[in-house]
Amino acid sequence: MGDLGANLALGFTTALSFQNVFLCFMGCLIGTLVGVLPGVGPIATIAMLLPLTFNFDPTGALIMLAGIYYGAQYGGSTTAILVNMPGEATSVVTTLDGHQMARQGRAGIALGIAAIGSFFAGTVATFVIAALGVPLTRVALLFGPAEYFALMVLGLACAMVLARGSVLKAFAMIALGLLLATIGTDLETGEERLTFGIAELSDGIDFAVLAMGLFGIAEILRNFDLTIDARMVRSAIGRLLPSKADLKQSIWPILRGTGLGAILGILPGNGAVLGPFAAYTLEKKLAKDPSRFGRGAIEGVAGPESANNAGAQTAFIPLLTLGIPPNAVMALMVGAMTIHGIIPGPLVMTKSPQLFWGMVASMWIGNLMLLIINLPLIGLWVRLLKVPYRLLYPSILLFCCIGIYSLNNSVSDVLLTAIFGFVGYALYKCGFEPAPMVLGFVLGKLMEEKLRQALVLSRGNPMTFVERPVAAVLLLIAIAIVAIAVLPSVRRSRDEAFQG
Amino acid sequence: MKPATQDLAGGLVLLSIAAVALWQGADLSAGSLRQIGPGFMPRVLASVTALCGVVLCVSALMGRGAMMERWSVRGMLFVLVGMVAFAMTVRPLGLAVAGPLAVIISAFATHEARWREIMLFGIALTAACIVLFKVLLRLPVPLAPWLIGY
Repeated sequence: MGDLGANLALGFTTALSFQNVFLCFMGCLIGTLVGVLPGVGPIATIAMLLPLTFNFDPTGALIMLAGIYYGAQYGGSTTAILVNMPGEATSVVTTLDGHQMARQGRAGIALGIAAIGSFFAGTVATFVIAALGVPLTRVALLFGPAEYFALMVLGLACAMVLARGSVLKAFAMIALGLLLATIGTDLETGEERLTFGIAELSDGIDFAVLAMGLFGIAEILRNFDLTIDARMVRSAIGRLLPSKADLKQSIWPILRGTGLGAILGILPGNGAVLGPFAAYTLEKKLAKDPSRFGRGAIEGVAGPESANNAGAQTAFIPLLTLGIPPNAVMALMVGAMTIHGIIPGPLVMTKSPQLFWGMVASMWIGNLMLLIINLPLIGLWVRLLKVPYRLLYPSILLFCCIGIYSLNNSVSDVLLTAIFGFVGYALYKCGFEPAPMVLGFVLGKLMEEKLRQALVLSRGNPMTFVERPVAAVLLLIAIAIVAIAVLPSVRRSRDEAFQG
Repeated sequence: MKPATQDLAGGLVLLSIAAVALWQGADLSAGSLRQIGPGFMPRVLASVTALCGVVLCVSALMGRGAMMERWSVRGMLFVLVGMVAFAMTVRPLGLAVAGPLAVIISAFATHEARWREIMLFGIALTAACIVLFKVLLRLPVPLAPWLIGY
């Protein structure tokens, strides 16, 4: 425990420097500002704002980026409650009861309880990361290529099961994502692969470009299928601070949501996305009168929002300890780290402890800031949401274009983003989810590298994945997860869970 | 029995992507298990993708799955053309031209667009972006090379 104290102290001294507090504040503020825009989820927000962090030192840049992430997450919940438009999968559940509360004139209370729940969950998650960081890093150092490969297979298996819609389609998306990752120069032989002879593709596809196309542009295109009415924005926010009765009703849901979200967030393969769904289902099951859910039950906001934030933060654990990004947001973090010359993984903690612990400490500070800046700024967000969508989406598009161009000063990146926007829209129309594909893309390069290394080490014997106990267990779990998911009975309840 | 058009289209998309990947990767060596070559992963993954495509197509032809929904072609065209216009003009003409251009073109993705409003909005938004990205953050986006040289 002494270690933990010393580490956190180091973290807070780093994170509390004037520059870092300022960056954390700016990150939270800008992140919320962009995240509030309807149809812009955390992934698009981060991809868009990545260039803002280029000018700072690595620690400052990552602290700001983490701030942008929490801000975007919180902004998404605000939009979910006020306009009934979730920015991404994790705030879908919040629309169910949150928007109902808004319709009953309790929008302020819904936003307030979401902020309080998120802050509590964020605090707990910060300590979970701090406590699990050191032991998990030790485990990671024992991992060989075979274990890494098996762990990534497990991650993809989770992503497949956690995707909405058919398991077969999710599987196809993972294969497609892995295939996209092979585009570019082969790391070992230097041969160009699947580049169609286009020079711009020889470095492979930039992840920010892919993410921006699939989650930013495609989302704009999808929104043309819906009718978005700015009048749907509830202008009466009402009181922000929940009453004693509200708080009493929410305490247990917040605690349960935090626990569920934190545990699921650690899983490789975007477990965080399951948190809010699981929390909502649990609250509904435990409620004395389940029929209140969907009609503005405060527990239906408190639980999922806490789970959402807890999972959003514990998702940093696989990234910081193992170097494996569990979801698209974390993959963007990898991109940001690489730009600053940091390779995420177990060595970050030992080589640059200031960065690691500074970031952990800044998570808590960021959560506190969200609570402080958002409650008074709600009025501003509401006004922003009242801007008609016909003016909002061209603005979002222009930010996307400038952001993507500034990443590498590359015209072809903008064109490629447009192409992926189209691809994302087409895939959506064909009933495919982009999330598993993105995870496949994210893990693709690393997986191929580890597969090759493992086979070189075992002199071409594929049995190495079964003979090494840890790898074998991880693969067995992966197979079990997929097998269970395709069982008819589980499939039905999975479909129900995703429909909320 | 009607085929499920959504899944059929999805399957065909997967099949064509796999075919392109197999064709592009045809010259890469697959290597051996002892030393996997650059062609191994692309080929395996393309085959898996193709297999998924076949299964989807077959089940769609048997009538299982959803039907294709309507596409918003107009929205898609104007937004994508707006992006292409930005990409084409940002280097030679700078943000001062590319910004309003992207905003104005993409605004016509909906029927609600009005010329006057969107022209003014495009110019105002670009001005705001120039202040934010060029002045405050000093990102290296060309501003108006034909006018001021950068």
